[in-house]
Amino acid sequence: MLYAVAVFAPLLGSVVAGFFGKAIGDRAAQAVTILCMLLASACGVASFVSLVYQGGTPGVVDLGTWVDAGSFHVSWALRYDTLSAVMVAMVTCVATLIHIYSVGYMSHDNSIARFFSYLSLFTFAMLMLVTADNLLQLFFGWEGVGLASYLLIGFWYEKPSACAAAMKAFIVNRIGDLGFAVGIALVFFTFGSIQFGDIFAAIGQHSADTYHVLGGTWPAFEVIGVLLFIGAMGKSAQLGLHVWLPDAMEGPTPVSALIHAATMVTAGVFLMARMSPLLDHAPGALAFVAVVGGSTALFAATIGCVQNDIKRVIAYSTCSQLGYMFVAAGVGAYQASIFHLLTHAFFKALLFMGAGSVIHAMSDEQDIRKMGGIWKKIPLTYTVMWIGSLALGGVYPFAGYFSKDAILEAAWASDSASGHYGFWCGLIAAFLTAFYSWRLLILTFHGKPRADHHTMEHVHESPAVMTVPLILLAIGAVVLGFLFRDQLLGEHWQAFWGQSIQIAADNHVLHAMEEVPGWVALAPSVLGFAGIALAYFMYMAVPSLPGQLASAFAPVYRFLLNKWYFDELYDAVLVRPLMALSRLLWQVGDATLIDGIPNGMASLTSDSSAQVVKVQTGSIANYAFAMLIGVVALISVFLIFR
Amino acid sequence: MMIAALAFYVFAAILIASAAMVVSARNPVHSVLFLILAFFNAAALFLLAGAEFLAMILVIVYVGAVAVLFLFVVMMLDINFSQLREGFQRYAPVGATIGVVLLAELAIVLGGWKFAPGAASLRFAPRAEGVHNTAQLGQLIYTHYILLFQASGLVLLVAMIGAIVLTLRDKTSSRHQVIAQQIGRMAGDTLEMMDVRSGAGVRELGIIRPKPAPEPEVAAHDDHGHHGGGH
Amino acid sequence: MGGAAMTWMSLNWTLALPEIVLSCCGMAILILGVVSRGNFFRLGCMLTVGAFLLTAMLVLSGANGVGYSGLFVTDAYSVFVKLLVLAAATLGVVMSLDYNEHENLRRFEFPVLMLFSTVGMMLMASATSLMTMYMGVELMSLSIYVLAAFARDELRSSEAGLKYFVLGSLASGLLLYGVSLIYGFTGSMDFALLAKALSDPASASPGLVVGIVFVLSGLALKVSAVPFHMWTPDVYEGAPTPVTAFMASAPKVAAMALLVRLMASPFGHLLAQWQQLIVLMSIASMLLGSLAAIGQRNFKRLMAYSSIGHMGYALIGLAAGTQAGVRGVLIYLVTYVFMNIGTFALIIAMRRRGRAVEGITDLAGLGRTDPAMALGLAVFMFSMAGIPPFSGFWGKYFIFTAAVQQGMWALAVIGVLTSVIGAFYYIRIIKVMYFDAPDEAFDVRPASLSFVAGVGGLFTTLFFLYPAPVVAAAEAAAKVLFG
Repeated sequence: MLYAVAVFAPLLGSVVAGFFGKAIGDRAAQAVTILCMLLASACGVASFVSLVYQGGTPGVVDLGTWVDAGSFHVSWALRYDTLSAVMVAMVTCVATLIHIYSVGYMSHDNSIARFFSYLSLFTFAMLMLVTADNLLQLFFGWEGVGLASYLLIGFWYEKPSACAAAMKAFIVNRIGDLGFAVGIALVFFTFGSIQFGDIFAAIGQHSADTYHVLGGTWPAFEVIGVLLFIGAMGKSAQLGLHVWLPDAMEGPTPVSALIHAATMVTAGVFLMARMSPLLDHAPGALAFVAVVGGSTALFAATIGCVQNDIKRVIAYSTCSQLGYMFVAAGVGAYQASIFHLLTHAFFKALLFMGAGSVIHAMSDEQDIRKMGGIWKKIPLTYTVMWIGSLALGGVYPFAGYFSKDAILEAAWASDSASGHYGFWCGLIAAFLTAFYSWRLLILTFHGKPRADHHTMEHVHESPAVMTVPLILLAIGAVVLGFLFRDQLLGEHWQAFWGQSIQIAADNHVLHAMEEVPGWVALAPSVLGFAGIALAYFMYMAVPSLPGQLASAFAPVYRFLLNKWYFDELYDAVLVRPLMALSRLLWQVGDATLIDGIPNGMASLTSDSSAQVVKVQTGSIANYAFAMLIGVVALISVFLIFR
Repeated sequence: MMIAALAFYVFAAILIASAAMVVSARNPVHSVLFLILAFFNAAALFLLAGAEFLAMILVIVYVGAVAVLFLFVVMMLDINFSQLREGFQRYAPVGATIGVVLLAELAIVLGGWKFAPGAASLRFAPRAEGVHNTAQLGQLIYTHYILLFQASGLVLLVAMIGAIVLTLRDKTSSRHQVIAQQIGRMAGDTLEMMDVRSGAGVRELGIIRPKPAPEPEVAAHDDHGHHGGGH
Repeated sequence: MGGAAMTWMSLNWTLALPEIVLSCCGMAILILGVVSRGNFFRLGCMLTVGAFLLTAMLVLSGANGVGYSGLFVTDAYSVFVKLLVLAAATLGVVMSLDYNEHENLRRFEFPVLMLFSTVGMMLMASATSLMTMYMGVELMSLSIYVLAAFARDELRSSEAGLKYFVLGSLASGLLLYGVSLIYGFTGSMDFALLAKALSDPASASPGLVVGIVFVLSGLALKVSAVPFHMWTPDVYEGAPTPVTAFMASAPKVAAMALLVRLMASPFGHLLAQWQQLIVLMSIASMLLGSLAAIGQRNFKRLMAYSSIGHMGYALIGLAAGTQAGVRGVLIYLVTYVFMNIGTFALIIAMRRRGRAVEGITDLAGLGRTDPAMALGLAVFMFSMAGIPPFSGFWGKYFIFTAAVQQGMWALAVIGVLTSVIGAFYYIRIIKVMYFDAPDEAFDVRPASLSFVAGVGGLFTTLFFLYPAPVVAAAEAAAKVLFG
């Protein structure tokens, strides 16, 4: 019951704020949504505690029949197991803090009720996603968060860039969703059900199934695994489908913190963990996951090193950290990926909201080249940004250290080619992560002030409503790591996770990772410190060096600055040909070819009356001819291919 | 039997030839005349098939009414035939190509003419014994196919509504007959008995025609009259 | 006398009671309109809506069976289709109330023509003979030809009517030629007898299948499937908008339902013969619908291409040739009708200073000038693009799963791909509404349009919460054809 309250309270808040926002006013809308969120987080944490620490029984909260058609039964139900409970607790807590933070951050906006309604709607959709008991409901939540994210990225619709970013996010995500939807269809096709319980119970019977498509034989689990991962790639911004995430920073900063750091983008990782019983029998798909994850971790980190927009740097770091999580999933260490997901949610939300606080202080300036020298003026923000960066960089004893190390150890311990690839990518990415984090810190807070006098005068610490959530998140970023390390990954991980993560009998990654060579455990920390040192050297000690390097290695610099030319590539390879094709089909296909088959009569769309008359007599004949040609073609097809 | 077969082929040949002339004749009046010829031959074919009622209906309705109406319309309308012909020539190549392909395909198909098994048993008996043609048609149309008959009625009703909707216009300037007003008129309304002195002029007596005073009541009637007449 | 009475009773005439009552209501409204003084348009519309509701009740309470010497059937399938057609027609009439007042088209024949057109559609839904089918198609089409040209003083409208009429007549010709071929080869026009005669696919001659192709072509024009779609954009654009809305919903449902019954029931055994043609038409429609729409500037024209595409998706379900496929088609039609009618209600509401506007750019900034309307339109566009959780997604979902179950992967993949391309232009409308600089606000929206858009919007949004009744009804209806 508590569990259902945790899921549905945000919906209530969203509905009230959305439909009655104008009637009850901004203040009341804020109050209602935040109260609902507080209630949700209290219930979420309570149900997590009662399940894991007080021996509650996992189960399914049935809400009612949804679709009942032939052999296809789906009901609305909430799945109550450790994986879901952890996610619910995390999502509600972080979302609550972000709601509170938004009160301060959005105080000057003029559609506050709408914003809070969207925010709560998003939270609800995310909760539906993580508590889904079947793939369809998961897909519902999945699309729901996509919709909410679209609304929130385009929240400032006056900005054309925000609109473009919203469209981009939407379309790129649709491509991923396509894979996911086909994957769901295949699951139903293979297992005859999309309830998780039924699927997992039948894993053994179907592990040798194959599909015969395109003249080849494909193992069923591998195909499903890859398709589901394509869906996850879209949502979690993995290499190839990552292009929307950095652009999504056009939304308000709390949105970036909530959606594009802490929760939505981790949906893909969650999906991997949820489907772990199936994926564990698909080694090929897992290798693919690990390779894509490792590549993304490295790729995004390289870009992060040269970006100048404070939010974009953090966005690329999100992309990179998600890569880590997929590496962990790809080597079968789902527990480690969820662990990193958990810690990352806290420290990344912290970083984003800290960045928001900086932007707030700098009168909406986001370019770190125009900041600097403000650490004394906003000491609290400065401190939490340090904590966030330490956690991100993986410095002991901050949260990121435990989770990132666990992932790298697991990657090494998996002892497979893809695992090793992931390990080395992750290792280099760890170095780069530390480098760009401290580049950000130093450029933002230290050195000479580069902003104009007017802005510098107005630099001020944010109000308490913004700083209190920051402090709470900072505490999370510090303690979560050593608090949960042993429970989630230690010897008795099974006691914690219960049946929510089932791995194959031959999967010993968690055990093996305790016995990796010493240098593997040490290397991330060493490289992390090296990165910090390099950043200090380049931006603090010899500030002229970066400029010289950039001009010396201009092609490389430009390559990175332009994000490996991914957008340009897509534009040239996909967008433009598609547009051209559509123009061609419209002009040639309908306007020229069909109108012009007999005689090239006037075009379809002319609107002067004289021409309409001309088209009128002309086109009826043309249309009739087209119909007759159609009949003849159909008969020919029938006669020839019969 | 021989004669019947011969008659069938003669009528059918004339039918096809005149149908071809309908579309190819230069003068549209000739086209209509060939159409009439085609109807006659079709009627003859019906007769041969034993459907004498249909044959008569075809002659009476199509030749007697429809084709003659066509003839009137064609003769009354001023159609620029050279312009139509121009369109014909422009479309001829494409049309001919399609036509030839279609014909070839149909030839292939009809060459392999084959009835479905049991088709013969499904076919309606052309003539039931003991009931004459007209009665049989009546039974079919008014009992068996009453649904289709009524539906045809609706189609015709819709056609009528359509013709009225698309062409009839209420002109405010036209004058309509208001029968109620007409027959409700009393002698006293229009006739006035006057004592006329001998030698007096019209003006002197105050008899001015038409009467200058407007009649609001009549005007209101007029309004309705327009509307009622409109439909 | 006794014999005649027996025949009369054995006709089972009460099966067609809804049609009879509806036709009588139509004629009564016609007479009332002629004799009434003053403008009868609004009252005529109200009475028509009342007649539709009455008919719907009769449809719901009627018995099942075959009547009129095998020409007419009432079963779960026909009831499903009739109710959907009546719902679409009712909303169509409501939509025309204010538009016709504004555009000076307030003549009582308008709702009457819609009513008779609906009678035709109901006949189509119940047709179990090629002749009933033809009568239904003609009754439906003839009324629509007139409706399309209803704004007779406007060149675009009369042009639309004429175009549709000429091409429709051509299609009728094709249809009749096909019917005569089929009759010639099998000796029957009755669906049940046809099915029996064709129960062995090997013995079907090519001539018969060519006949089916002709019939298919004639009906394809009515559902505007490629390559018989050509009239659609011109006629949609030219006809008065409520007529376009009506044309795009109810007749599409009736024609598609008829096509499905025809293909599944008498020609069901010849699946292998006609399947590839349906597949081709479906693919071509989906491709054209999604690609050609991208360049459109006029909203009504865009909707024309959109409806071509939607019919392409519906055809996938028919191509699957299974009970699940037919169920998918029916569910798809339900979702299509509601989102389509809702969209058109909002297109009619696009009116600035008393003049109707139709350009997509006219929607600029609607998100600010009229948030409610923009939200409604956004919901419909999302739904048309097939984005969950809106009803459009579910329609596509049931269609695609049916295709996949039959192993028609290519068809399903093309369908999904074109729906992704299609999403582009639907979402462009949303972008224009929310992200472009606002234009002048639209005029105040009449309550009737808000009502129609509200009905469509609520259905589209909330369908996913409880789709079970619609799905179950569609299941039962589809079972009739395969039972």
